[in-house]
Amino acid sequence: MNCECVKQKSDLSLLCPVLEEYAAVPGSLITILQQAQEIYGYLPMDVIYHIAAETGSTPAKVLGVATFYTQFRFQPVGKYLIMLCNGTACHVNGSERIAQTIQEYLQVENGATTADGLFSFSIVACLGCCSLSPVMMINEETYGNLTPDSVKMILQEIQKKEAAQ
Amino acid sequence: MSQIQITINGKLCHCEEGISILQAAMQNGIEIPNLCNDESVKVYGACGLCAVEVLDDGSGRPMPKLLRACSAKAMNGYVVRYDTERVNQSRKIALELLMSDHTGDCMAPCRLNCPAGTDCQGYVKKIAEGDYHGAVRLMKEKLPLPASIGRVCPHPCEQNCRRALVEQPLSIAFLKAFAADRDLESETYRAECLPDTGKRVAIIGGGPAGLTAAYFLRQKGHAVTIFDASAKMGGMLRYGIPAYRLPKTVLDREIEEIEAMGVSMQNRVRIGEQITLEQLRADYDAVIVAVGAWQSMAMRCEGESLSGVVGGIQFLHDISSGEKAAPDLQGKVVAVCGGGNTAMDACRTAVRCGADKVYVIYRRTREEMPADAVEIEEAAEEGVIYRYLTNPAEIIGENGAVRRIKLQVMELGEPDASGRRSPVPVEGKFELLDVDLVIMAIGQKPALAGFEALEQTRKGTIAADEATFLTNLPDVYAIGDATNRGADIAIAAIGEANRCAAVVDSALCGALKPYRAPFLSKREVTAEMLADREKIARCTMPTRPAEVRRRDFDEVNLGLTEAMAQAEAKRCLECGCHDYNECKLIRYANMQPIDPYRLAGQKNIHEKERKLGSIERDPGKCILCGLCVRVCEEDAKQGILGLVGRGFTTAIKPEFQDDAVIAGCKDCAKCVKVCPTGALKLLG
Amino acid sequence: MSIRIAVGQGSCGIAAGAGKVYDALFAALQGSEVSLGVVGCIGMCWLEPIVDLYRDHTLQMRLVQVKPEDAERIAKACCHGDLSALNDLAISEEDAAFLTKQTRIALRNCGLIDPNSLESAVEAGGYSALRKVLAKQDGMTPEEVIACIKESGLAGRGGAGFPTWFKWNAARQSAGEEKYLICNADEGDPGAFMDRAVIESDPHTLIEGMLIAAYAIGAKEALVYVRAEYPLAIKRLHAALAQAKEAGYVGRHILGSDFSCEFRVKAGAGAFVCGEETALIESLEGNRGMPRLKPPFPAAAGYWHQPSNINNVETFANVSWIIDHGGAAFAAMGTPDSKGTKVFALTGKIRRGGLVEIPMGKTLRDVIFDIGGGIRDGKDFKAVQMGGPSGGCIPASLLDTIIDYKALGATGAIMGSGGMVVMDETTCMVSMAKFFLDFTAEESCGKCVHCRIGTKRMQEILTRITEGKGRKGDVELLEELCNAIKDGALCGLGQTAPNPVLTTIRYFRDEFTAHIEEQRCPAGSCTALRRYTIDPANCKGCTLCAKKCPVNAISGSVKAPHRIDLDVCIRCGQCMAACKFHAIQVG
Repeated sequence: MNCECVKQKSDLSLLCPVLEEYAAVPGSLITILQQAQEIYGYLPMDVIYHIAAETGSTPAKVLGVATFYTQFRFQPVGKYLIMLCNGTACHVNGSERIAQTIQEYLQVENGATTADGLFSFSIVACLGCCSLSPVMMINEETYGNLTPDSVKMILQEIQKKEAAQ
Repeated sequence: MSQIQITINGKLCHCEEGISILQAAMQNGIEIPNLCNDESVKVYGACGLCAVEVLDDGSGRPMPKLLRACSAKAMNGYVVRYDTERVNQSRKIALELLMSDHTGDCMAPCRLNCPAGTDCQGYVKKIAEGDYHGAVRLMKEKLPLPASIGRVCPHPCEQNCRRALVEQPLSIAFLKAFAADRDLESETYRAECLPDTGKRVAIIGGGPAGLTAAYFLRQKGHAVTIFDASAKMGGMLRYGIPAYRLPKTVLDREIEEIEAMGVSMQNRVRIGEQITLEQLRADYDAVIVAVGAWQSMAMRCEGESLSGVVGGIQFLHDISSGEKAAPDLQGKVVAVCGGGNTAMDACRTAVRCGADKVYVIYRRTREEMPADAVEIEEAAEEGVIYRYLTNPAEIIGENGAVRRIKLQVMELGEPDASGRRSPVPVEGKFELLDVDLVIMAIGQKPALAGFEALEQTRKGTIAADEATFLTNLPDVYAIGDATNRGADIAIAAIGEANRCAAVVDSALCGALKPYRAPFLSKREVTAEMLADREKIARCTMPTRPAEVRRRDFDEVNLGLTEAMAQAEAKRCLECGCHDYNECKLIRYANMQPIDPYRLAGQKNIHEKERKLGSIERDPGKCILCGLCVRVCEEDAKQGILGLVGRGFTTAIKPEFQDDAVIAGCKDCAKCVKVCPTGALKLLG
Repeated sequence: MSIRIAVGQGSCGIAAGAGKVYDALFAALQGSEVSLGVVGCIGMCWLEPIVDLYRDHTLQMRLVQVKPEDAERIAKACCHGDLSALNDLAISEEDAAFLTKQTRIALRNCGLIDPNSLESAVEAGGYSALRKVLAKQDGMTPEEVIACIKESGLAGRGGAGFPTWFKWNAARQSAGEEKYLICNADEGDPGAFMDRAVIESDPHTLIEGMLIAAYAIGAKEALVYVRAEYPLAIKRLHAALAQAKEAGYVGRHILGSDFSCEFRVKAGAGAFVCGEETALIESLEGNRGMPRLKPPFPAAAGYWHQPSNINNVETFANVSWIIDHGGAAFAAMGTPDSKGTKVFALTGKIRRGGLVEIPMGKTLRDVIFDIGGGIRDGKDFKAVQMGGPSGGCIPASLLDTIIDYKALGATGAIMGSGGMVVMDETTCMVSMAKFFLDFTAEESCGKCVHCRIGTKRMQEILTRITEGKGRKGDVELLEELCNAIKDGALCGLGQTAPNPVLTTIRYFRDEFTAHIEEQRCPAGSCTALRRYTIDPANCKGCTLCAKKCPVNAISGSVKAPHRIDLDVCIRCGQCMAACKFHAIQVG
């Protein structure tokens, strides 16, 4: 985190309905953060400060909660979020090679976004589709029985689609 | 509330129902180790140090799991221990794990490198504050002869001084001498002695080791007698070190101080002559052998037995003792063989005896010379001539007296085990020097007549255990130059004497406790990390001009002025942890042997930071006990601090970058007070 | 009577293409009388997408591995009523046995009813148990419900296997204004997905089980904590709750009784430790999911420090069946120690992977070989991982162990939530241990020392072993750490984190030794220890491998055998994949 984050100017009014519904409901911090992430795509630092102020909490507490859970992101993500499952079944069935393929093909590290902002890559806990292992999700869509070749094809198709637009 | 009883480590404790085992222990004066607990906040249970084993849950059955004393309620009839093998193992691993991710500077590098562990940082700070008696009090916790040692010590402390990464190390030894001199002038600090124990200790040898052992054992209330073969106490400090370096009046004053504590001193007693070791063993509860190493080693070259060939120690002893008249070396040429401090003392003494020419014969070069750089320089200033890369091959005599010395010319070869390049003879290349006196100063070994009953090492020294200092004879301990690896610097013998005194004291009190080196957390610091420090040059000790000083035995150094000393002391970077003496973590870490290095792995790296008002945070020392976070939220009602992230990289963050939030900190410093380590510090 | 088509639409099925099949069928059936519907997951994952053809509620034919291009002829066959045209798509007898060998209670409706339809659930018997409990005449008191559950012997299916009635009773007995009933649907064990299947396929059975539990303990509010990674489950649960509320099963004065209960669904945000009940409560309260000290247990002071009861999805899924059929019927299944059935998620190198529900007391061999069909690709069985990061690896020699809490515990593994990951000879057991420690170290909440730093150090040691940098004594050091962490960690996650390591050391110590002392991975799986060589007898000197090698580690002239410089080789295996002559070997 650097100082720039705090100086960000997110449109905080977008959060009003969420805060109206939940700010006064005890125990709703995670729900608020989830909805904030829905709105902004990630959790900008000024939004975290805003939530702290509006819920009568402190930034330390809100950031503490947000950084505890893997769902929350503090950087904008690409248009396509690739979540590669690293569950046991996927591991046994070679998810490591799939991870390598994605990293090499897109030149992107785990937890990072490609230079063109199209893809973010994240290795995640078990997605519960073990019988299709190895599995990945791109945004809402699940892809199973992956091989290095099939992964490349899936990514190429998305790239083609994007290039056409 | 009804009263219940529970037994903790064999002690029957009464307490109210409903409190935790930890509280019950505290109320009954028992300290169960704990790091994350504090009365002002809710129970947390993170550190795991307070684990206890319930041997009887009140119904005669043991409990299968270890309990955390902080959260488990004390129940009537519980029999609890926090020192069972299982608990100790659990705590040991917890401490090893904590230490494997703890980057503290428990002790400053100067102190770490001092063989006696003197608290250099501590007394330098006292000197900076002008509290010279206070400084000496700290020195004398480890070293009873600071004025003497401050003058002669080759100061390994300075070798490690981090100030060298900025420009030059602190002049720690001279600061010590400065403060000790001030202390000797008036209101001299004198340690208190405990009431007499009735135990008697005989110490053989009144050198730095013997005097130190006597000093610390006397403090413990034991009756101590030092037996020494010479006319006066002081050993090598008196007879091996020339007066121009250590005026004997200074040494006398410091010995007087020890005598004044009630140490009995008997001179001119030689073991095997006036008394035997057996007699001492019979008459005393413990005997410490600290006889030093007084015999110069032979060079194993032809002509050593000629008249005019003397050992360095012998040469120095004869002059210092005044037993023989100082030899008149007017018009004579002297060759001193060796490159250590004894060689320096010998050559400079020879100069002062009027020698025409004094050579130092050394088989390596200046670079490898073990003597102090200052000594080498000052000797050169006084006219000593160095013959590097030469080695005595033969001493040639005429009519039984030395006439010439034949030197084998050497060159440097591959580095040897010590890392120094070893000298190799250049075949067939020799030099001849006309000399009248050859002084052998290539090393010493102990003369052990009268100690035949003691087992020796292959080096001809007394074999003594490294942890108990015991020899092969019960209740006979041995320390200093006479033992194991042989001669070393005085401060090493003093350190050993201090540790030995503690062992002997424990044995006299009933249970011998071997010495165990404490575990200390260490930090690597680089020049880049200190790049922001202002450069301030090291002070220079004023000395008498070479032309003047080479004619007499008066002290070469003139001593630091108060202004110089204070300015120098203020250069200290204060590396060691400010909290070392109060740190719970290090105290618990040393309750049992731990070895965190076997678990060494990735460490969380953090920079020190000063974002919160008057509080400095050193996250490297943070053990994530969460006390600061909890006290800030629960007690101070601020919520400024928080845990961020999870798992191994969890960190405690004060308020990021936002000035408004930082301003929310009320500087109540409650977090500093509860921190069990030195991670939080209130700035002055 | 016309044919009804039901497409299995669990997450796995959709991932396998069930959505596209549905769309294609929908298009193909335009204007026909054949109805098209959705069912949940039947648990035969290797056969997805699955399309069931019904006539009069009777399954006529089950089509497997259906592709969208099959839609036309399926539609045609159904319209004509001549299903024999689809014989090539029908499930084989062998595959069908996968289901017939099971005894399904928790999964009884999964894959058979439409998860989006309350009617479908009620038709299958949904809410009959709730009606029985709340009936004005001859209803059951909370004590009677608890007694019935006690008689059934139902134990928590989330892992620990604690008697369910005991927790309910403790929560019932606790004094407190408000009580809470919580469902742990934070199915975090990698390799387990039965809870997801239940919520996605039969949400009303979960809701009904929770309502009965809430009634038993005296809770007016019920919460479901679902993993955020299960969006479909969350969606279907929300929909089901809305339907149930509308129909009067949820809300005030349920079925006209004095019993009221409101539901809330909370999405977890990604933290395995939140499967631990006190951490889950912290998370429900909007905090970092760090476990609390126990005692007090949640039954005394849980959510908002009120008496709370937490069970997992599968546990609740059994409740209404038990009420309907009586505790004794449930207890009649299983072993003296473990009653009823248990659902397993069978995955890994297995031929037929999916959800298997069998009575306790069957053997591991029954599940893996009889039902699962053994190892695929003709390889040898090596071990089965049970209980996820808290469990362990059970070797071939113990395949006849019966499925029972005690018997599995004795192997060093645990029943756990029911993940069964099957491994073959190519799986490195050291690497498996490392995999689980990677997981627990990542998921450690960071609170207690033993877990935060201990799992990290174990992970580091295991990593260096898999990289061939293991040191003599590392296995003993691991064991020492394991035992200390079991003893010293604060919560279940930490206390059980050493299990995968301890069991692999116990049964596969020689693999550790081979890695440490010979820098050899017997399974040939650890990348750093692979040695690629070219067999000169087979190498034709085609130069393809040298061209593929990203680091120019392969040299040789055209038409002459090549060689690999192992000092340069990065063990990527591209040469081996490229070689057309099988000249490249790995050892």
